[in-house]
Amino acid sequence: MSKISAPRSNREFIEACVKAGDAVRIKQEVDWENEAGAIVRRACELGAAAPFMEKIKDYPGFSYFGAPLSTYRRMAISLGMDPASSLPEIGKEYLARTNSEPIAPVVIDRKDAPCKENILMGADVDLCKLPVPLVHDGDGGRYVGTWHAVVTKHPVRGDVNWGMYRQMMFDSRTMSGAVFPFSDLGKQLSEYYLPRGISCPFATAIGLSPLAAMAACAPSPIPEPELVGMLSGEPARLVKCETNDLEVPADAEIIIEGEICPDYKVEEGPFGEYTGYRTSPRDFRVTFRVNCITYRNNATMTISNMGVPQDEGQLLRSFSLGLELEKLLRSQGIPVTGVYMHPRSTHHMMIVGVKPAYTGIAQQIAQLAFGSKLGPWFHMVMVVDDQTDIYNWDEVYHAFCTRCHPENGIHIYRNTTGTPLYPFATPHERKYSIGSKVLFDCLWPVDWDKTNDVPTLVSFKNVYPKDIQERVLSNWTAYGYPAVK
Amino acid sequence: MNQWEVFVMDMSELAEGKDIQISIRTLNPGMHKYTYKHVRAQVSSTLDKFPDQLQVRMGRGQLSPAKFSIKVIEEIRRLPPQYS
Repeated sequence: MSKISAPRSNREFIEACVKAGDAVRIKQEVDWENEAGAIVRRACELGAAAPFMEKIKDYPGFSYFGAPLSTYRRMAISLGMDPASSLPEIGKEYLARTNSEPIAPVVIDRKDAPCKENILMGADVDLCKLPVPLVHDGDGGRYVGTWHAVVTKHPVRGDVNWGMYRQMMFDSRTMSGAVFPFSDLGKQLSEYYLPRGISCPFATAIGLSPLAAMAACAPSPIPEPELVGMLSGEPARLVKCETNDLEVPADAEIIIEGEICPDYKVEEGPFGEYTGYRTSPRDFRVTFRVNCITYRNNATMTISNMGVPQDEGQLLRSFSLGLELEKLLRSQGIPVTGVYMHPRSTHHMMIVGVKPAYTGIAQQIAQLAFGSKLGPWFHMVMVVDDQTDIYNWDEVYHAFCTRCHPENGIHIYRNTTGTPLYPFATPHERKYSIGSKVLFDCLWPVDWDKTNDVPTLVSFKNVYPKDIQERVLSNWTAYGYPAVK
Repeated sequence: MNQWEVFVMDMSELAEGKDIQISIRTLNPGMHKYTYKHVRAQVSSTLDKFPDQLQVRMGRGQLSPAKFSIKVIEEIRRLPPQYS
């Protein structure tokens, strides 16, 4: 693999985005209360450049970087690729890097760690000293963590987990967040800490390098510090926390250290969510008590504003869920041609292209997808054949509407794992995280005769002889049509 | 006069004429705006009955037209002492 030249920090990433025209510097003062959130939201909905807000009301010296990875261009920049790279090219690169040898992180001396430039301990700890934004009007609170990593470690096995669990500021030293029981942190808490009544050390890292954020967001089985190394082609730089033994990205802008309380919960939410709605009810949720805050000089807080498509939660989650499922299906020997989630599905529909080699292959795919650790994050799997371009929604939609038999092609799975975030779920289902799933099998049945039973696709590419196609293509402008890109 | 806000799923959570326990967040301007306290309080739909004002939001953040006055009797510390 050639040398990777990816941004190593949030600051390098911002510079690269500005240079490529994919970020704008906003010099005028921006209010942390709604205004910053509204700018980020509008940028997401327009697919516009990421806003780098350099002056925050009430918080001199701090800045915001919003919508860091809400376009494929910025995703390509984060990987050190040409911003104009296509989605299949980005996906191919992601798969190549994440199938490479793991690269272990290095732990550096604290004096060399930028995130230690300012340290608040004891009575000085106050989350309100950070420019925590009110992201959406009507949110249950100001959200500290919207684009970040919550770092934890299993005390016995030593498994390190970086996860993107939203965190609301409840008071100056308390945050609460949505940690679902099927998530890595949720399992860690329910398996070890909660039964023993022991608090779980955590560290929240904000303003990560884009690839560290990508790793925290990806549902990969590879430990995130190693995954960052694989994605960036060099070891991630970590540094030990001040008040616990966790190691955090040394170049992060802000680190919040503390403990997750096993016996104390405060209210969290509502919050504008990745589905494009405020769905999950306000509830007593996992509570984080803060013991220390460290941050860089002129720290930049990253903001993701979730809502209607498309934001980085949808884009990156769709991207990584799809590619991780592709890896899983290939590991089982299933002849997939690709897996794709359209971000506009708010990562609810998995589209799988497959060579229909045997009967039941679509059901096998759905069962693997829904039964994996990826499964709780989506509820629809659509399987199309290897002739359908999974990235072309027109083709996929056509296949769905014409090949999915209303009785034989739709398979429903009941009483599965759900989340309180599903907008369509009943109040009862939301309360108890009860889900249901559906497979849309858009494959022609294997027992249909390919000559006489399977309908012929009537398209330019499929029904005309090659020589006619070439003649029409070569004469297209001569006929009077503009050239087709 | 302080300004507070509360989230409720149902307006019956704001019973008048008796002490209730609720989590309220400050709307007073400043860096601590939107931080919460859990309190014992009395509320009234008569706006000048108690010294502070209380604004209400419903469970998904919708602002309610209902307004209340509120008297915060005491802050209740729910936090176990080991986390202080």
